[in-house]
Amino acid sequence: MSLTTVRGLKSEIYVPITPSPVWSPLNKPLSECTVAFCTAGGVHLKSQKRFNLSGDYSYREIPSDTPASELMVSHGGFDNSDVNKDINSMFPIDRLHELEQEGFIGKVAPVLFGFMGGGGNVNKFKGETGPAIARILKREGVDIAVFTGGCGTCHRSATIVQRAVEAVGISTIIIAALPPIAKQQGAPRITAPHVPIGSNAGEPHNVAMQTAILKDTLIQVEEMKSFGQMKTLPYEYRQNV
Amino acid sequence: MSITFETAKQHQNDPAVLCCLRKKGTVISAADLEDPSIFPDLEESGLLSVPEQALTIGQVLGATLEQDADSMTPLTPELVGHFSENPKNKSEEITTSSSTAEGPIQEKQVIRFNIDKLVGQIELPTGLNMSTLPFAATASKTSEDKVIRTLTQRTYPVEQVCVGAETSFENKMLTIRETLCNESLKADPLVKKVALDIIRPENRHLYSNTIMDVIPIGTKVEGILGEGITHVMNGVVIILTGVDEKGVQVHEFGSCEGYLDEKIRFGRPGSPDPEDIMIRINVTVQENTGMERRGPFAAHKACDYIIQEIRDVLKEAPADTATDQKVFRDWKKSGKPRVMLVKEIMGQGAMHDNVLLPAEPAGVIGGRRNVDLGNVPVVLSPNEVRDGGIHALTCIGPATKEVTRHYFREPLVNLMAEDDEIDLAGVVFIGSPQVNDEKTYVSARLGALAEALDVEGAIVTTEGFGNNHIDFAENIEQIGRRGIKVVGVSYCAYQGQLVVGNQYMDAMVELNKDPKGFENEILADSTLCPADAERALIMLKTKMAGIPIEPANRKWSQEVVDSNQQLIP
Repeated sequence: MSLTTVRGLKSEIYVPITPSPVWSPLNKPLSECTVAFCTAGGVHLKSQKRFNLSGDYSYREIPSDTPASELMVSHGGFDNSDVNKDINSMFPIDRLHELEQEGFIGKVAPVLFGFMGGGGNVNKFKGETGPAIARILKREGVDIAVFTGGCGTCHRSATIVQRAVEAVGISTIIIAALPPIAKQQGAPRITAPHVPIGSNAGEPHNVAMQTAILKDTLIQVEEMKSFGQMKTLPYEYRQNV
Repeated sequence: MSITFETAKQHQNDPAVLCCLRKKGTVISAADLEDPSIFPDLEESGLLSVPEQALTIGQVLGATLEQDADSMTPLTPELVGHFSENPKNKSEEITTSSSTAEGPIQEKQVIRFNIDKLVGQIELPTGLNMSTLPFAATASKTSEDKVIRTLTQRTYPVEQVCVGAETSFENKMLTIRETLCNESLKADPLVKKVALDIIRPENRHLYSNTIMDVIPIGTKVEGILGEGITHVMNGVVIILTGVDEKGVQVHEFGSCEGYLDEKIRFGRPGSPDPEDIMIRINVTVQENTGMERRGPFAAHKACDYIIQEIRDVLKEAPADTATDQKVFRDWKKSGKPRVMLVKEIMGQGAMHDNVLLPAEPAGVIGGRRNVDLGNVPVVLSPNEVRDGGIHALTCIGPATKEVTRHYFREPLVNLMAEDDEIDLAGVVFIGSPQVNDEKTYVSARLGALAEALDVEGAIVTTEGFGNNHIDFAENIEQIGRRGIKVVGVSYCAYQGQLVVGNQYMDAMVELNKDPKGFENEILADSTLCPADAERALIMLKTKMAGIPIEPANRKWSQEVVDSNQQLIP
């Protein structure tokens, strides 16, 4: 074998290592907890400004009494067919209210969050967006924050914000369609249903599946006792795009 | 956490740092040392600072600790007695089995080496007494290169394009039938409007909707894709632009709507060349279907309908009016190391899809979409790729997407196919599915394919960034864990930095061309160019030859790319 070679070549791309743990234990039962939902999947009110799809570290506050019909997605990193049909497949706002009525959780936080994590600027999310969202959630007395990503870099952005929220003393968990990213980026808690990116919180209009994914995820906030645990959830949905 | 003997061996030239508290008199082994791969993180968080005089792992193994020392203490000459002075020579030795690690044993005047693994051949000077050799000399095999198939591409220059009553191509002038646009609506009911205009190089300061694709005009005259004869127009290229009825751009991760002269990096493999006439086909699709799989595909179908009528007149162009004729060959090169090129393509749905092997070069009809094929790996011959075997429906972000013309002129396919030192077994296209389980499924099939093809080396490229980097990492791992040398090629830089990684991703080529490392929304800016292809291939050959590639810096830097480029002979 005769090959032309050179010495002194250097690999040009850094391969990441999981960051240090961040952990806030849950100290009360779910039925007494105030629960917030945050998504990096580009959800916002139809009356709010669309996100810049090539990377945007701004966020939208979504009052939790907003009807689902007033919400939309601006996001380019995944097929929008499912979220266009049912926003709950990414941002299960209706399911949250049902869990409050059922007494499964204490109450839904007054404000929820949408941001567009695709191609997210890591330093901006780490230094600005994450801490800003964390401050508001803390101020509103939130005990648990549940996250969804969207695309790949969305899962990275979602996890960065999740870590910032965990760092201020709120127990957080991400429902990950792409669990390897959440894991490698250092998500404190992860559930992983078998769903495609774009319907991270369950099949559109499948209330039973969305409820089950959200309930199982909340139960895991109670059950997981250490950083970085991941639980695969037994729900499977294959999108027919 | 302590490390294993194997890890210590891998890192023998890295600094030695205690993993835990150790007492004076400890004979230092791997179990006493911290893993050097986490040093950058420890240094960044201020937990560790390695002094210049720190000893390496190779130097301290077997040496004695001369005083008590805490965890995270870098070992220095003051702390360690009897350390080895000259560990570097060790790393250059032939790897021998542990039973002879102390050195060759002399016995009856023979020198015996136990060799774990030896690949390749040993050449000895002539005149030796061959009968004393412990092995038989093999007759040197004459390597015979065999041509499997030949593709002839005839080039027809186009100097003028206009719209008229009939489609025709004569005397370097292309005329496109005026009524063709309206007729193309029937390609798909989601297409609501189609408009066409001609943009000459001097008139490029023109506003445009986002560019969904750049498509060469080529047609088969004889044979099927990859062989026979193809006619190609030169000096003209189709650009497909799109918007929905509400005025929302048909784009996803970033859009390149704006002035064409500002939004295209002219001259990239995928983009129009500086002197090209652009035929712009602007398609309006039904509202809200731009980010659903059916919407963008409908636009491509309408566009292809128009191109087909141009192809039909190009077929009739007489052979003697072609100004250039290129001949491409698929080879079987015996005696050369077999390698494969893996091109990861998007497969998550809307605008993350491609048509494989259409009937016409760079066409739509007759092909199958990788999403429908379940994104499993599909092998194409280099000639099939170069004959327009891929029609890209993909739009990851303008700067990092590989459009149809990119595959038509793919620099890495051309370089590897023409290289005399390797035997390119095939070009494998593998999709990036939207479900995580499916990503694992298709990557595993790629690993099995690499094993079955019996390749010694592979280059894996991906367009875009983000969730497809999961597949990218898994694809590299599936190949690497089989002992096949592998190089990865992607845009990462700042905005697209990797979201996952593994130990096999140790020889990587960066495609970024943006000064700040962002997806800058300039069409094809950070795609694979000839220089990137050269770095990737030399890195693969170097890795295959067993020469180490230095680990990457913690942060993206253009200097590393530049200095690698300068090393290329």
